[in-house]
Amino acid sequence: MSNEIKENEILDDVNEATEATEEAAEQIEEAAEETPEVTASEQEFESKISSSAAPAKQKGMKIPYERRKALYGYGFIALWFIGTIYFFIVPLIESLVYSFNKTQPVNGEMKLEYVGLDNYIYAFRKDVDYSPALVAMLKDTALKTPLILIFSIFVAVILNQKFKGRTLARAIFFLPVIIATGPVIDIINGNMSTGGYAGGSEQFSSMFEANLVDELLNFLGVYNISDSLTEIISSVVSDIMNLVWNSGIQILLFLSALQGIPTSAKEAANMEGATAWEYFWKITIPYISPMILASIVYTVVDSFVDPSNDVMLLVLTKSSSWEHGMMAAMAWSYFAIVGVVLGIVVIIVNKVVYYEVE
Amino acid sequence: MATKKEEKQFEKERKKARKERLKRMKEEGIEKYLTPDQIRYNRRKALIDSIWPIFRFLILFGLGFIILYPMIFMISTAFRPSEQMNDPSIIWLPKSLTMDNINDVWKVMDFGNTAINTVILNLVASVLEVLSCSITGYGFARFKFKFKGLLFAIVTLMIIVPPQIITIPLFMQYSFGWITVLKGGESLINSPLTMYLPAIFANGIRGGLFIYIFRQFFRGLPKELEDAAYLDGCGPLRTYVQVMVPNAKTSFLTVFLFAIVWYWNDFYISSSYFTRNDTVALMLKNLNATLIQELFSGQQVGIRQIIVWLEAGCILSITPILIMYVFLQRYFIEGVERSGITGI
Repeated sequence: MSNEIKENEILDDVNEATEATEEAAEQIEEAAEETPEVTASEQEFESKISSSAAPAKQKGMKIPYERRKALYGYGFIALWFIGTIYFFIVPLIESLVYSFNKTQPVNGEMKLEYVGLDNYIYAFRKDVDYSPALVAMLKDTALKTPLILIFSIFVAVILNQKFKGRTLARAIFFLPVIIATGPVIDIINGNMSTGGYAGGSEQFSSMFEANLVDELLNFLGVYNISDSLTEIISSVVSDIMNLVWNSGIQILLFLSALQGIPTSAKEAANMEGATAWEYFWKITIPYISPMILASIVYTVVDSFVDPSNDVMLLVLTKSSSWEHGMMAAMAWSYFAIVGVVLGIVVIIVNKVVYYEVE
Repeated sequence: MATKKEEKQFEKERKKARKERLKRMKEEGIEKYLTPDQIRYNRRKALIDSIWPIFRFLILFGLGFIILYPMIFMISTAFRPSEQMNDPSIIWLPKSLTMDNINDVWKVMDFGNTAINTVILNLVASVLEVLSCSITGYGFARFKFKFKGLLFAIVTLMIIVPPQIITIPLFMQYSFGWITVLKGGESLINSPLTMYLPAIFANGIRGGLFIYIFRQFFRGLPKELEDAAYLDGCGPLRTYVQVMVPNAKTSFLTVFLFAIVWYWNDFYISSSYFTRNDTVALMLKNLNATLIQELFSGQQVGIRQIIVWLEAGCILSITPILIMYVFLQRYFIEGVERSGITGI
C-alpha cells in the first residue's frame, strides 16, 4: 500500500510540474497578446507551445480560446443560475429575514416587525418542545448513522458476490429506495400502531422482545451492565425495520463503489494469500472510503430533512399556525447546528479517506 | 472478447484442470508442492467457501423478509373483508378474498383521474428536470470559469438545505410575486406550473443532487471525445447534444427513473402548493380523513375498522411505480453502478 501511495505522490509531482509548465506557457501567451508588436521569434515560440490557441487565431477570432470556453461554461449554467436566484437564494434570504421578525400575513404581503433575536431566544429558552426534540434528534442521528453505514457496507459486500438469485436479492434490497420516500412508509410505520392494531414495523419489532437482549447478556455471563447500554442495544434491535428500510440508497452507493475496485487489486491480494478478512480491511475499505464520506453526508441530511422527524414536525406545526417567523428561526438554528456537526464530521473523515489519484 | 457462453465454458475447463492438478498433487504427496502454510490456507479457504453460502442465504433471506414484510402484510390485508380483521383465527391468510376494498378506495381516491394527473405532472417535470440538470452538470464538469467553486458551493447548499426552510417564501412568491404574470396576475397556487417552473430551471425536487450526479458522470467521460468533436468544428452545444448525451444514456435513464420516483412519492412540496388532493401521494397522505368522510359519514372509527381500505390505497398507489421498477430494475442498479456517482 505504501508503495502505491508513494507512486501516486510521484505522479502528483509530475502532474504539478506539467501544470506549471502549462501555466507558464499561458502566461507567455497572454503577454504576447497584450503587446501588439510581437517579434517573429516569440510568435514562433507561441505557436509551438500552444497548439490549441493557434487554430482559433487563424480563423480570426478575437476572443482567446480559454476565455471563449469560459463564456460557454457560463452559458451552460446560466439556466440553473437564473432559476436558483429566484427559486432558491431569494426565498432562502427571505426566510432568514423572517426569522428576525414577527410575521403576519396580510392580504398579499408578509407584514414584518423587527424583533431581533427574540424568535431564537424563545425557541431555545421558552418553547417546551423544541430543545428536547433537538437533543433527541441529534442523539438519534448519532446512533443511527454508524449503524446504517455498517449495515449497508455489509449488505453491499454480500450483494457484490456472485451467487444464484443475486438479481432477485438486489431487486428486493433496493425496493425501499422506491417506496420509503413516499407516504406509504408512514402508513406502514405509524398509522397502524396508533389504533392498537400493531402492523408493519410495530408488530415486527415485537417479535424481538427487549428482554431477549438482557437474557442473552446474562447467558453470556455479563450481569449488571449499564442500563443505558442495554437501552441502546434494545432500541437498535427493535428498530431493525427502520434500519433496513432506510439504507437502500447507501447500499446502492457502496455497491457502485465496490464495482469500482480494480481487478488488479483483487488479483494481487489473491496472489499474496490474503484472507477475506484482510482483503476487506486492506482493499475494500480504502477503496470505498470516499463513498463512506458520501454516505455519511447523505444519511445525516436524509434524516435531517425527513418531514416526519420530531423537529420537522414541530417546525411544520408552527407553519400551519401562521407563526412563520418562529418557524424560520427554528428551522435555521436547526439547520445551523446540523451544518456545523456535518462540517466537523466531514473534516475528520476526510483525513482518513483514501483517494486514488488517476 | 469472448461471449458469455464461452466465458462460462472456459471457467468450467479451468475448474476441471485445477481439480485434476490437485488430484495429481495429492497422489504424489502434497507436501512436495506446497508449504505447510499454504496447505493450511487452502484448507481454511475450502471450509469457508463451503459454509459461507449457507450463512449468506440465511442473512439475505432474513433481511429480505424484513423488507418484504410490510408488502406481504399489505397484500394480506387489502384483499380481505373488513370483518375478518377482528377474527383472531386469521393472521395471514383470510378466509375469503374480496375486491371490494380496492373498488371502494378507487372510487374515494378517484384513482383513474388522479393517476393520470400525477403521471402527466411527473413525466413533464422529470423530463424538464433531467434536461436542465444535465446541462448544468455538464457546464460544471467541463468548463473552467471564474467563481466556479462558489457556484458549485450553491449546488451543495441546494442538496443540504431542507425544502421546509424555503417553502413559505416560495409560496408567497407564487401567490403574489411578479411571476404571477405567467397566469395573467392570478396566483400560481394549484397550477402545475409550481412544479414545472423550478424543474425547467434545474431547481426541482432534489435538483442539487441530480446536478451533482451529472457532474460526476460527465467528469468521468474521456476528454478526447470532446476534443475530437471540437477539432471537427463542433460548437460546445452541438458537442453536448451529439457526442456527450448519447454517451450518457444509462446515466440519463437512471436519473430520470429516480426523478419519476421522487416526484411520484413527494407529498411535502406538493402539499404546500396544491390545496386540493391532485396527486396520488397527496391522496394517500389524506386518505384516512377522506375515508372517514366518505365511508363512515364523518364518524370517528378505530384503525382496525379502516385499515383494509388504507392498505388497499397503499397497494393502488405503489402499483404503477412497482410495475415500472420490475421492468426497469436493471437500469436502476446497473445505471447507478456505471454512472459516475462512484467517482466522488
